[in-house]
Order: sequence, then C-alpha cells, then structure tokens
Amino acid sequence: MSLRAILFATPAALVLAFALAYGRFPGRRILISTIHTLLAIPAVVVGLTVYLLLSRSGPFGDLRLLFTQTAMIIGQMILCFPILVAMAHAAFQSTDRRAWETALTLGAAPWRAMVTLMHEVRFGLIAAIVAGFGRIIAEVGSSMMVGGNILHYTRNIPTAIALETSKGEFTQGIALGIVLLLLALVLNVTLTFVQGKGEITP
Amino acid sequence: MKSQVHRLLLCYYHLHKRISGDPLFEIPELPLHEGECTVLSGQNGAGKTTLLKILAGISVPDQGYVEYHGKRYDWPQAGRYCRRHTIYLHQQPYMFNDTVAANIDYGLRLVGIQAPERRRRVEDVLEWGGLEHLAARDARVLSCGEKQRVALARAKVLSPRALLLDEPTASMDKEACEKAYFLIKRLCAEGLAIVVSAHEVYPIRRLAHRHLHLESGKLIDQTALGPPNYASTSSTIMNEEENGRRARDNQ
Repeated sequence: MSLRAILFATPAALVLAFALAYGRFPGRRILISTIHTLLAIPAVVVGLTVYLLLSRSGPFGDLRLLFTQTAMIIGQMILCFPILVAMAHAAFQSTDRRAWETALTLGAAPWRAMVTLMHEVRFGLIAAIVAGFGRIIAEVGSSMMVGGNILHYTRNIPTAIALETSKGEFTQGIALGIVLLLLALVLNVTLTFVQGKGEITP
Repeated sequence: MKSQVHRLLLCYYHLHKRISGDPLFEIPELPLHEGECTVLSGQNGAGKTTLLKILAGISVPDQGYVEYHGKRYDWPQAGRYCRRHTIYLHQQPYMFNDTVAANIDYGLRLVGIQAPERRRRVEDVLEWGGLEHLAARDARVLSCGEKQRVALARAKVLSPRALLLDEPTASMDKEACEKAYFLIKRLCAEGLAIVVSAHEVYPIRRLAHRHLHLESGKLIDQTALGPPNYASTSSTIMNEEENGRRARDNQ
C-alpha cells in the first residue's frame, strides 16, 4: 500500500519540484513556503482531512472511498508529497544550470531535458523517495482514521501494532515492528543498490 | 573582407535584452553565414554570453525575431529553429555524469539513431577530436582543455550548421588553446557558421572573418580594423595540420 502511494505521488512531486526549481511563475515562493510548512503536518490531521472529504456528508462522499485501501493510499500520498517535493526541489536546486542548457542545445525537448536533469540528480531524488517512504510506511494516524483498521482489508502492520498494543499483546506488537523494520531495510538496500556508488566527483 | 561568399544561415533582427529593467543590448541585425567565423568581443558583463545563448535559442530576448529561408519567426518558435541549427558551448562545458563516449552519444540518442550507427559516429568523432584514448573515461574528471574538445566533438557529431562558443579557451594553456583553435578552424572550413566570444581577441582573431565588438549595448563591426588572415595562422596550427596529413598518408 505504501509502495503504491509513493509510486503514485512521486511523478507529480518530481515535476512540481522541477517547476519550482527551474520555473519562474507568480506564487512560486508562497508555494515553496507552503510545501515546507506541510512537512510538519501530523498524520492524524491528514487523516482527519481525508476523512472529512470522503465521509458520506463530505464533498467526495459519493465515491464511497472511506474505509477502503484507496482512502489509505490517498492519505499516504498526501503525507509523503511535501517531503518528496521539498527534497527533490533541493536536489534540483543543486544542479548546474549548464546541465539544462546543454541538454537543450544538444536537441532535447524541455521534457527530455528534465529527464536528463533527473538522471543527473538521481542520488538526491532517490534520497527523497526513501525519506518519503519512511514517512508513510510506519504511519498510523491517517491509515487508522481513513482505513478503519478492518481485518484482511485495511489493516496494515502499523495499525496492527497499534491494535496489539491496545490489547496488551506487546510481544505480538514487537514482532510486527521487527517485520516492518525488515521490510524497510530490504527496500532501502535495494534503493541503495540502484543508487550505485553515489560518490562525489574528484 | 571575406575571402569567399558565405551563404546566409540565420539572420536575427532587433534583438533587445534587458536585465533587471536596464537595457543590456539592442542589436538591429545580426546575420550568421555558413563557413564564416565571427569573433565576438566585449568587456565582462557586456552581454556576450547572453547574446550567444539567445542566438542558440536557449535564452529568450525581450524583443526580436529570426529570419530563416526568407521567413520571419518570432519567439518562442524562433528559439526552436535556432536550437535546431545551432549548438552553444559553455565557457566551461558541462559534462553529463557518464563516460566521454556516452556524453558524445547523448544528442544522437535523442534523435533516435540505431545503436550500431551511433557507435560508428561516436568513434568517428572521437578520432576527429583526438579523443579515442578518453572514450571510456568519466567525462567529469577531464581537464578544461579536454572537456572543451569533448564538447566540440559532442556538438560536431550532431552536424549542426552553427556553433556558438563562449570563451572556449579562457582557462586553457597555450597548447590546449592551439588544439581548440585547430578544431574550430576545421569546423569552419567544413562550412559551419562559428561565433566565438573572446575576452582576449588577438589569438582567435587570426581565424575570424568578422570581428564584432559589444559595447554599451551596441554591436560594432570592427572587421575593418584588422582583416582575417589565414596566411598568418600560427605555426603551431600549421604544423599540426601538416602532421595530421602525414599521419593519414602513412596509414
């Protein structure tokens, strides 16, 4: 579920981060400040907002998404989006403008030049994805509120840990916590492998 | 004072550029001719780099249009035509995070040429630039002179019709300068329109057909102050050409 959330959120976040770094449009600075502010948003606030939007009396109530996996993914996408944008923006800002100009002058269309730039800052972008994933893989607040923690349907490891703890089943909770950490470790090792050496140029 | 008639490639009209509200330059007309080498001089901050980037279509003027094959194109469409025919080389060329061969291959991949053909063209241009021994090296760790030659090769492989070089020899030693001049001269002889901006005019001017000076926002033609003279081309360049010819003969 968290993987799907990060997969759906990443493309839009990268394009926005690129636009913030390379574009010049009104409201750009306000948008950057807003994104930075949203970094600190608590998961329960996101959960509450999505709950209100998706509840029967909310504007998207007709979609009947509340207490579904889709609602959980939406909540997690909102949670990881600011981290993805902020870190990717920082990565794009660190690029040399000559990279963009070189790609353009060698015949790249603007979207292709953007892809080239992404390749140039791939280490920073992978770090952004890892951080975004870290934000959502262990979050409880949003998933619990909009998913409802329904067995075999919207229960994930963090919400299961919360449930086991509330029942006093600490051993079960710790075991699930270790499983969660192992999953995160496997994913991070994979991403580090994809990242390659990531060394500073001599 | 041209030694031959050069065909008009692109002509830029009424290029106006402002920086923070202050006019940087206003150029009524600037033609680019195939096979013609133009040296663009001017003090620091005169707008040489900005002008070259506009000519290359990677920067946008506040006003101006381009005439190509007798048709007028305004920006942003003009920018696309400029990018199609010209390539801009930075004073310190940017090398993508890859090998020299992959850097040269970059533009060919964009065009969608098949891998075997791309490999052949890359090998040819590596040989042209005397860069065969650097093909597998990380392009980011090369010296300034080597980067400049890789950038020239990366541009040449795309067969542009004009090259815009921003102070290409600014941080090179004498030997590297001569190698770069040699390649520039060959490109010009192959029919490319070349514009070279230079702080130090003298060394490059001996290769140039035209000398334009950017001062106080105006482009002044100073060609008449000192005609181009291929005959006075430095002995080093002549010797390199002679050596190259002998090497080919021996093969």
